[in-house]
Amino acid sequence: MSKQSVRGSRSSARDRADERESATAVRLEGVTHEYGSTGGRFRSGDERTVTALRDVALDVPTGSIVGLEGPSGSGKSTVLHAVAGLLVPTAGSVELRGTDIAALSDAERTRLRRRHVGIVFQRFHLLPSLSARANVALPLVQSGVPRAARRDRATTLLEAVGLGDRTTHLPSELSGGERQRVAIARALSTDPDVIVADEPTGELDTATGQDVLELLTDVGRERAVLVASHDEATLAVADRVVTLCDGRVDDVR
Amino acid sequence: MSDEAADPPVDAEPRRRTRWRGVIGLTLSRWWRRATRTTRGRITSTVAAVALTIAFLVVVTGVALALADGGMATADDADVRITPEESGTLSSVDGVEGPRLGATNERAAAIRSRDGVEHASPVLVETARLESTDGDPRTVRLIGFVPDGESRTVAGLPTTALEPGDPHYANGSYDGPRNRELVLSPTAAERLDATAGDELSVSMGGAERAGGGTPSVTVTAVADGGAGGSGAPIALVHLSELQSFSGAETGELADRLLLWGEADAARSAATDAYPAAAVEVAGGTDPSTLFEDGLAFATSVIALLVGVTVCASFVATTMGMTVDEDRRTLAVLESVGFPTRSRLAVVAVSTGITTVVGSIVGIGLGAAGIVAVNAVAGATVAPGTVAHFHPVFVPYAIGVALVAGLVAVPYPLAVAARTAVLEEVAR
Repeated sequence: MSKQSVRGSRSSARDRADERESATAVRLEGVTHEYGSTGGRFRSGDERTVTALRDVALDVPTGSIVGLEGPSGSGKSTVLHAVAGLLVPTAGSVELRGTDIAALSDAERTRLRRRHVGIVFQRFHLLPSLSARANVALPLVQSGVPRAARRDRATTLLEAVGLGDRTTHLPSELSGGERQRVAIARALSTDPDVIVADEPTGELDTATGQDVLELLTDVGRERAVLVASHDEATLAVADRVVTLCDGRVDDVR
Repeated sequence: MSDEAADPPVDAEPRRRTRWRGVIGLTLSRWWRRATRTTRGRITSTVAAVALTIAFLVVVTGVALALADGGMATADDADVRITPEESGTLSSVDGVEGPRLGATNERAAAIRSRDGVEHASPVLVETARLESTDGDPRTVRLIGFVPDGESRTVAGLPTTALEPGDPHYANGSYDGPRNRELVLSPTAAERLDATAGDELSVSMGGAERAGGGTPSVTVTAVADGGAGGSGAPIALVHLSELQSFSGAETGELADRLLLWGEADAARSAATDAYPAAAVEVAGGTDPSTLFEDGLAFATSVIALLVGVTVCASFVATTMGMTVDEDRRTLAVLESVGFPTRSRLAVVAVSTGITTVVGSIVGIGLGAAGIVAVNAVAGATVAPGTVAHFHPVFVPYAIGVALVAGLVAVPYPLAVAARTAVLEEVAR
């Protein structure tokens, strides 16, 4: 694992004091979401729906790690997807740095996600035909960052996560832990304010998972991190743990 | 958004250009890695399907071009051909007799004396009736030519069986000794039931005018199947004797003039001798002739339609399947902030690259196919070339492949647009 901190990877242009103070980066208020309720035009009106979230309220301040726990189907992933703007809740508001995601168009939500949210998936979801460096630089392509700057930024981030010697490797040539570190570097490439991680150690052995958790903890010192997991070791790095059950907030500790 | 104003001021247009360059570069690099490392089989099969379709198109269009360029009566191995400029004639009757070149014997002699020209001879084509002593008269196309002893092919027939030179011409007096030689194509020999050494009598409109009754000629050779197997009843004779038979000696008329030698020198000599005539260098077939020949044009149009249809079907199917397998990649692109148009651009550019690469491979295969077709035809049924390759085939084939790609691209785009990001990333 790298001894170099990923905190230093934040760009100087955004290194401003107002972004460093412990403001609320993510706020969910009265969020309810029903799957099947926003079906296509050919679906019948009496289609059965599944309620994934019921009146969920949650704050994630900048500089903190919030863990989400709960059994399968409790709504952890749905909360992460709502924060990332991958879905719009049926009711309630999801604010990302003061912007209500539900009020945005699809294109605006995509832009907001690109600029302010980094996503780490359980199964990494790296593009198999791109090198580690190209995977990390991927979000910067759509941001219009010139090629040389993209390569520099991706190389810096890979060095920061301890993969400076793996920049040209394809994902298939990397171990599970290395792939997850590449995924974390990719999530950091646009210098986002919020990181959402869905079971980030779910596919890793204990030792490798511990490395990834250290990395996430390091990342969380300057950003808001929301981690969903079943794993006690993963939740142990969180400053606060929110327990979900049947789509409701059951406990906060 | 709250922090939009905090972004560094940038010019939107350069950023947009950089973004699109990045998307295209990303797609190119991803396509290359997939073609060479990760999904080699799928990309190779799509490229091969496009390449075979384009190769088929190139070969059929090459055959059509050769068809339009002239049949067996013009099949020769000359390096340069001089023909009368069609637009310079006033004849409004089609198929009676085209314009001819004048003073051909004299000018051919002048051309032969030029550096870089090995041989030059006028070619006169006339229809005559030949009759063997114990058979019926048969109509045969006589080809008048001045042989030089070298192995050459004129009208699909070898010229070596004729005595070199043209003594009857006698510097334009047409009173020299006649060779009375004839080389028959296999079809003509079969119809006349004639073999080498047989005597044949010749009759045509000009024979009576030439006086002296019906002239006779001796069959010196019958071309073998490989060299003269065009199926046409034709025969090769000395030029001046045919001119005398037909009355074409006045004005030393001929249908065309063939030159052998260095292409540039021969073309220069041809242009000097006949500045108003059409000078065609071998291999420089004019594709516009396709539009003038009904059968050739129809053949090439059918090849085009079949090519576009088959190519588009292959591309749509294989790219659609590729995109279907690639839904997770599209979902990941969405999750990292690629909007719909950028994701569709990745799919469209991938499809475009596949078709362009397939078309380039197909052009190579098509060129090889034309060589193979000519080799097979030369060894079996026809001398010379039965299919031509022309440089214009390169942009033509790429254009056809791109049109096929455009026809095909809505399907992979539709598959891509239906991708549900949550379904894919949640797996």
